[in-house]
Amino acid sequence: MFLLSICQWVDSTRLNTVMRQSNWAFPTLDTVHTLGIVLVAGTIMLVDFRLLGLGLRSVPVVTVVARVVPATLWGFGLMFVTGGLLFSSEAVKMYHSPAFRIKLLLLALAGLNALIFHRTIYRDAASWDPDARVPTRARLAGLLSLVFWIGIIAAGRAIAYAPGYDLG
Amino acid sequence: MTLSPFLWAAGLLPAFEWLQHTYLGDTIRHSAALIATLEIIHLIGLTLLLGTLLMVDLSLLGLGIDRQPVSSVARELNRFTAIGLAIMLMSGPLLLCSEAVKCYKTPAFWVKMALLAMAITFQFTIHRRATLAEPPVERSRATLVAIWSLVLWTGVALAGKGIAIFQPA
Repeated sequence: MFLLSICQWVDSTRLNTVMRQSNWAFPTLDTVHTLGIVLVAGTIMLVDFRLLGLGLRSVPVVTVVARVVPATLWGFGLMFVTGGLLFSSEAVKMYHSPAFRIKLLLLALAGLNALIFHRTIYRDAASWDPDARVPTRARLAGLLSLVFWIGIIAAGRAIAYAPGYDLG
Repeated sequence: MTLSPFLWAAGLLPAFEWLQHTYLGDTIRHSAALIATLEIIHLIGLTLLLGTLLMVDLSLLGLGIDRQPVSSVARELNRFTAIGLAIMLMSGPLLLCSEAVKCYKTPAFWVKMALLAMAITFQFTIHRRATLAEPPVERSRATLVAIWSLVLWTGVALAGKGIAIFQPA
């Protein structure tokens, strides 16, 4: 139970006490966290739509990626920092939450999917014919990304419905 | 709170009470799974709306997609923004049904409705004209439109979160 002892340690830190004693820390961070996820998923969806041929078809894939991904990374930074602080306020509870575990798993899958996409098929993206469909593997990466991010949003919201969790 | 007497006079509280006790309101209120599902759908709608809108507004600010005129980005993305809005406008009222009286008593709800009305009006008039204009509108006007658009829609999102945070006494 290595992970559990880490969570127990997090719950014993001063950060945890500060988070719990403040009436404002949790709702404020929760709000920024939600906006961060909206920023990440909302921008990465544009890349996914382009890969799937559903939108921005007049713009080359590399151009869409170059412009959209910086906004995605800003959102990810926001989401990561606020998410870490939210976690620190109830680490053991999160350890026991199935929705939280599913969310982390989906995050890892989304990251892995993006990493594989960028390291393999995307290397040749500059030479893709702008008017043709993108290669099937790239379309698959786009579809998986959409599914993972919708899943992350759903699992994140579901954390609030875990038994014993009272957010209102 | 100071809003309530006025709205009561306007006869809205009975309407909200009625809404909450309709078959739809009762069904949703008594199912945590239904509420959670609707909230998730509502959030996905928001993601689509804000993500696409952000890219159009960044284009207006000159930070958008390279060598693409604002109007072509907007023509491509307006569809997704509208789909996002439609998803929110379908799931939102259902969520309202489930806790209409609580919303009535929560100032954040009324702030959200006021901002939403402004944002939608702005979106389909000034914003639409500015983004689809050919030749593009001048820089100062484009910047102003983009900032107002982002402020209004972020305001809608924040006020929405506020409904959950600021529970009525």
